[in-house]
Amino acid sequence: MTRSDWIFAAVGVLVALGWYLSYSAARLDRLHARVEGTLAALDAQLVRRAEATLELVNSATLDAASSLMLASAASDSLAMSELAEADIESQRFGHDRESVESDLTEALTQVLGEETLAHLAREGAADSDGLQALGRVRATCLRVQLARRFHNGAVTDVRMVRRKWTVRVFRLAGHAAMPQTVEFRDALPAGWA
Amino acid sequence: MRVGIVCPYSFDIPGGVQYHVRDLAEILIARGHQVSVLAPADDETPLPPYVVSAGRAIPVRYNGSVARLNFGPITNARVNGWLDRGRFDLIHIHEPITPSIGSLALWAAECPIVATFHTSNLRSRAMQVSYPFFRPSLEKILGRIAVSEDARRTVTTHFGGEPVVIPNGVYVDRFAGAEVNPSWQGTPERPTVAFLGRMAEPRKGMPVLAAALPAIRRELPGIRVLVAGPGDPDEVRAQLRPEDVDALEFLGAVSDADKASLLRSVDVYIAPNTGGESFGIILIEAMAAGAAVLASDIPAFVRVLDAGKAGVTFRNEDPADLAAQLVALLRDGAARAEVAARGRRRADVFDWGVVADQIAMVYETVLEGAAMARVPVTGPQRVIGRFRRAARGESGDDG
Repeated sequence: MTRSDWIFAAVGVLVALGWYLSYSAARLDRLHARVEGTLAALDAQLVRRAEATLELVNSATLDAASSLMLASAASDSLAMSELAEADIESQRFGHDRESVESDLTEALTQVLGEETLAHLAREGAADSDGLQALGRVRATCLRVQLARRFHNGAVTDVRMVRRKWTVRVFRLAGHAAMPQTVEFRDALPAGWA
Repeated sequence: MRVGIVCPYSFDIPGGVQYHVRDLAEILIARGHQVSVLAPADDETPLPPYVVSAGRAIPVRYNGSVARLNFGPITNARVNGWLDRGRFDLIHIHEPITPSIGSLALWAAECPIVATFHTSNLRSRAMQVSYPFFRPSLEKILGRIAVSEDARRTVTTHFGGEPVVIPNGVYVDRFAGAEVNPSWQGTPERPTVAFLGRMAEPRKGMPVLAAALPAIRRELPGIRVLVAGPGDPDEVRAQLRPEDVDALEFLGAVSDADKASLLRSVDVYIAPNTGGESFGIILIEAMAAGAAVLASDIPAFVRVLDAGKAGVTFRNEDPADLAAQLVALLRDGAARAEVAARGRRRADVFDWGVVADQIAMVYETVLEGAAMARVPVTGPQRVIGRFRRAARGESGDDG
């Protein structure tokens, strides 16, 4: 091969590499955007769940002790979500927030046991506001589950791409933090599952 | 909401995925959404107004059986045209990993994508080989749904992540309110049992039922087994002792209405399937119709029957156990009614009203996540998308 052949070949390889790197960077950027979106959506769903829980408390459907327990867990969750605003901006979901959300799930599971739910359904005709509030809590619980699954799915996809050597060697992820899956208990009360 | 649904299997022939897509489209339309379904179909097949044909499907050997699929440049152009014209808020692709319009739509779509995985037996070798090429388009799926626990496990193993399990739906009312046909109703002397499905396919379990017949008839000589489904009755009769032949009555392939009516009329629905089932929608239909269900204890059936609480199970491929359980169930009317009542309640979990709520919730969650991202999360496959846009005379940077 002559010298110009070598140069052509080298240019060809560089162009291909450049294209591949730009393609990978764009792919990674989309994946990061997806994670940000799903995390923001999860954050919003958690706020809605806490608000729906407080609504249920204020509808006076439950006894005083149960109401107090839910009110405490839900207001912890809301307070934490305000503190965490900067965290969500910077793509973090702290362990303390995970445990507060697990606590709210726990409180809902304990207060809304199968017997209680059956009892409320029987009494429901008299107080349809309460039933509606209950329905909203259930819907928000389901949405929290979905939002967390879809967020963790997006995180898994990003992490898989970021493990590739091209991404690591050429630092295609820039300064973006490595996204972490969000882990907390989000099971529905047994009577709803 | 403008929803595009992609069904990879031909609407010309019946199948679980096709029924699911049809029912989903109809319930979404009834709830006020604009829905277009893209599916392969022959030109002469009459299609519902919401279905757009992706062209004629070709029978291909894929994943161990013959499937009718669509591929090639003309199909690809049709898929792109459908996506362009539809301007969907979201598309919902069923079986995105088949070499058909599902993977083409996944590749080309630029809007948020939800995908439903139906199968539990993916060809893993083909997946591994094409993985690097296919992986980026899988990343465009923002919400993954699996129709069963088995399908969920398959998705988790092959693609990672944790899909949401949303079962197939059944219109419970259509079965609960079906007409009772007195000629299919059982009496204490002549109880009736229904078997549905292709009798020639051994995994549907006809051989197990045939082997159990002598023992059943020793206890209940008057038993009538009503067999509905395509196939040659003589092939089944050849497996039987001559004196057992009359216990089987062959109805041939039945209409949807007759199927519901049959399940509503008989004492027991029997599902002796030996495997290969990832879900078991027919069990739910039988429970909805109020038949007591007796099924083999394969994992999919045990789950549909709520760990065996909503029906009775027997040891898979064990004719003696089948016979014992069936005789016990047919002899004890009160126990049978109790089983049927539990089944009826269980069926409500799978009612289309409930299932459609869950799917709509997935759509909303996915759209919210996509809307909150700073750039479009399902941009085109960068270079190809740019060419496509340029070819269509559109401008603008796609990021």
